[in-house]
Amino acid sequence: MTAQARPMQRRAIWRRAYWRRTAVAAEPYLYTLPSVLLLCAVMLVPLVIGLTYAFHDVRLLDPMSGEFIGLEHFRELYADPAFWNALRNTVTWTVASVTLQFGLGLILALLLNRLFPGRALVQLLVFLPWAIPSFLSGLNWAWLFNPVVGPLPYWLKALGVMAAADNLLSHPRHALWGPIIANVWWGIPFFAITLLAALQSIPADIYEAAAIDGAGPWVRFRRITLPFLAPTMAITILLRTVWIANFADLIVIMTKGGPADSTQILSSYIFTQAFQRLDFGYASAVATVLLALLLAYAMALMVLRAVLMRRS
Amino acid sequence: MELQGKWSWALHYFLLAVFVIFALFPLFWLLKVSITPNDLLYGEGVRLWPSRSTFEHYASVIAHSQFPLFFRNSVIVAATTAIFSTLLATAAGYGFSRFQFRGKYWIVGLMLVTQMFPLVMIIAPIFRLLKPLGLTNSLTGLVIVYTAFNVPFASFLMQSFFDAIPKDLEEAAMLDGANRFAAFRRIIVPLTLPGLAATLGFVFTAAWSELLFALMLNSSSATSTFPVGLLAFVSKFSVDFGQMMAAGVLALLPVCIFFVFIQRYLVQGLTAGAVKG
Amino acid sequence: MLKSLLFAACLIAQQSRADTTLKLVEVLTSPERTETLQTLVKAFEMQNPGTHVEITSLAWSSAFEKFATMVSAGDTPDVVEMPDRWLSLYVKNGNLENLEPYLAQWSETKDLSDRALEIARAVDNTAYHLPYGLYLRALFYNKILFKQAGIAAPPKTMDEFRDDAKKISVLPGKSGYCLRGGPGGLNAWIMFGAAMAGNNIFFKPDGSSTLSDPGWIVGTAWMVNLYKDGLAPRDSVNWGFNEIVAGFYSGTCAMLDQDSDALIAIAERMKPDQYGVAPFPKGPSGKAYPTVGYAGWSIFKSSLHKDLDWKLVKALDDPAANLVWNKRVGALPIYKSAAQAPFYSSEQLKGWFQELSDPDEVPTLMPTNLPGFAYFADSLVVRTSQQALLGQISPADMNKQWAAYLTKAKQKQLSGK
Repeated sequence: MTAQARPMQRRAIWRRAYWRRTAVAAEPYLYTLPSVLLLCAVMLVPLVIGLTYAFHDVRLLDPMSGEFIGLEHFRELYADPAFWNALRNTVTWTVASVTLQFGLGLILALLLNRLFPGRALVQLLVFLPWAIPSFLSGLNWAWLFNPVVGPLPYWLKALGVMAAADNLLSHPRHALWGPIIANVWWGIPFFAITLLAALQSIPADIYEAAAIDGAGPWVRFRRITLPFLAPTMAITILLRTVWIANFADLIVIMTKGGPADSTQILSSYIFTQAFQRLDFGYASAVATVLLALLLAYAMALMVLRAVLMRRS
Repeated sequence: MELQGKWSWALHYFLLAVFVIFALFPLFWLLKVSITPNDLLYGEGVRLWPSRSTFEHYASVIAHSQFPLFFRNSVIVAATTAIFSTLLATAAGYGFSRFQFRGKYWIVGLMLVTQMFPLVMIIAPIFRLLKPLGLTNSLTGLVIVYTAFNVPFASFLMQSFFDAIPKDLEEAAMLDGANRFAAFRRIIVPLTLPGLAATLGFVFTAAWSELLFALMLNSSSATSTFPVGLLAFVSKFSVDFGQMMAAGVLALLPVCIFFVFIQRYLVQGLTAGAVKG
Repeated sequence: MLKSLLFAACLIAQQSRADTTLKLVEVLTSPERTETLQTLVKAFEMQNPGTHVEITSLAWSSAFEKFATMVSAGDTPDVVEMPDRWLSLYVKNGNLENLEPYLAQWSETKDLSDRALEIARAVDNTAYHLPYGLYLRALFYNKILFKQAGIAAPPKTMDEFRDDAKKISVLPGKSGYCLRGGPGGLNAWIMFGAAMAGNNIFFKPDGSSTLSDPGWIVGTAWMVNLYKDGLAPRDSVNWGFNEIVAGFYSGTCAMLDQDSDALIAIAERMKPDQYGVAPFPKGPSGKAYPTVGYAGWSIFKSSLHKDLDWKLVKALDDPAANLVWNKRVGALPIYKSAAQAPFYSSEQLKGWFQELSDPDEVPTLMPTNLPGFAYFADSLVVRTSQQALLGQISPADMNKQWAAYLTKAKQKQLSGK
């Protein structure tokens, strides 16, 4: 019995170890699988279809359209001054919005990180802008900037920022700042709350230990706070940049891309091409270029993050 | 304690006041327009408070419109999306944080790419995908789409919170005989309560105020959410600002309630760090 | 027991045989209008037992995108409200049912005014929709500002218009004209351009556009000068619908050109002694060319109940229903008999009927059946007109760009046929 049982026992042990190893190797997949499945089912297929439009002559509600035209749209795009204008505006829009949102959000998070009476209420109040749907927020701000019905032009004039109580949104050179201000108002809570949650996860004793060692507030911020915040900062900045680059709601509602296309960004340009010129193919080509640019940006950020982490 | 005592607190409160005023002023304007009677809307537009106030807009929204239905739909969709997204994202975020596995960067890339393509271009394919499944004109369809769209961001957010927790904690627990999932559930997750709260809060609000998919995928008023209801105030030749702002103010209430609920977990950090660190 | 089972079975059989659901989509939605629609629909349902109509109301600001997405995915209605700008698109896509056979058999067809029939046949000279009303432009003016500036009556000619605008712009904080420099402003450019050119012909027989002709350029330059000389508010370069009416309601600008359906909104916000309506001022040729838009009801080819659909369209749009409908909607009626209705001789609507009866006020149909017109009106015109107003390009340049685009589109349309 024992002579025969040993190979069986050994096989059983081997089989158990094999399943054990497979289970361990499969673990990460099990954690990530549900999300991946959902994404593939709902978003991947439409995304791929949307990308293929860029290479076909797809026109809305035109039964004759749909033939394959290769890189024709991209050639058209390269020669299109409206595209380059929109690209320039997209950069201004994104950089200004993200920088201001992040900077002000970080300051607010630091302020909220200290315990003070009424903190819970203040937290709620500063979070409220995020809860307003973007289109209502756009209408509200357009109303505020309109000298006929809103106070801002008069205040701006009183502060000396504007020469006359005009509507900032009609100014050919500075109109983009209207939606940027509205976007910053709307987006500060995102950074503030996320960074606050990250700050709250830093154990208090590390600060105390550093204080005992004689480190001043600025040193503590640089050596403790920033490294702890780094992963959260990286991901929030990356995602927010990607979202803002694609976020045309406020612009469409407040200035409709005008005056004279001075506030047109790629995302609103895509919408115009798709639903006014009814050229889904061209719109998709512009979207593909935007996608490529954002991917390049994401990769650059990842590389930067890896370099910084290796150094520290 | 940390900085120069009184001056630092004075600066602290001053800056906070600035932020609060900046955040609240447009909301105050929302409120002001919502109680302004229609005939004074344009004539007295610039005043800080109308000469005559009225609650007729609120009355219309609550009693004569379909807003109670829209709010109910929004609450259902937003809460369900928040819960499902957070569940999926916690798992995926943990997977990203703790493991290096083949295909990891492909999955991360997939998640990123889905955030980068303008939604306008994929509305039509998604509609065509959901229609034969009977998921258009339904709240379920919306929840599925919203969850799919929010999971990437939520996963990355949770990943960054998990990254801040040293790996040795669950390694220690696993050495003691617990399997990884138990360690995950019992030790790691409670430490990331602020992160969970933040994620829940954001996904809830994102789903609450989302307009594009709610508009395009659902047509009947029985399945419309509140942002779609707001759009109905914009007709061809007039915008009913009074009612729209009133509905906007009312819509802040569920978000406030939800936020108050998760706030307790958001600022748990100080005590949690001291006890478990 | 058997009898009751049989009875129940009969009931169920009857129900399933007779119950049809028609899908009706309205697009120029407003809450009050939906109520009127529901009343008309209920009357129809009572007259046709077993028929149920499911109304889908799309918000106008996103109606085009939403409806186009639905149709391209196969989610088609039975009856839909069809605005003038959408008509040629859906006809060319093969979605709309030819209504000529139905019109040929209908007793009320002879009561349709000539203009209504012309409009019904706007695309391919075939009736693809039954119009329910006309939207004719007229001049709204602020009586109080006029009195303040010492002007006795609304302007009858373009020169008077300019003089009046100048007098009003002298008043502190006020302007003469609520210029719509942003989206939707094309109609005003066309009206002023045509008045100066002395005609409203858009295309020469070979398909080339007339917009680069000297007369039209004088017209657009005239409008650019209104802005440059400060007779319109400085912000108006980017004003859309919301802003021009906000300017008018608040008394910031005194004159506004709008359709009759804007009257309802204006009447809610201003008292009758504060505003008036006048026919559009005439150009040097002695004629004015107010633009006219329209909307109607169409039946989708994919519908399985076309006869029932036609019954529904009739219920919504026969002379009796049309009167009820237009009272709510504010469009001008399509039936000859409607002109006698007492509702249309009210003080406010008189302005439009004056226009209609004056032979020198020539209602002008825009070339909305031109493929690519939407892009022209909503994108090209907006951008170039704003550039012209800001002085970045000259009016002649702007007209040339318009003419080039329209010529290309028209010639493509002519050859495609």
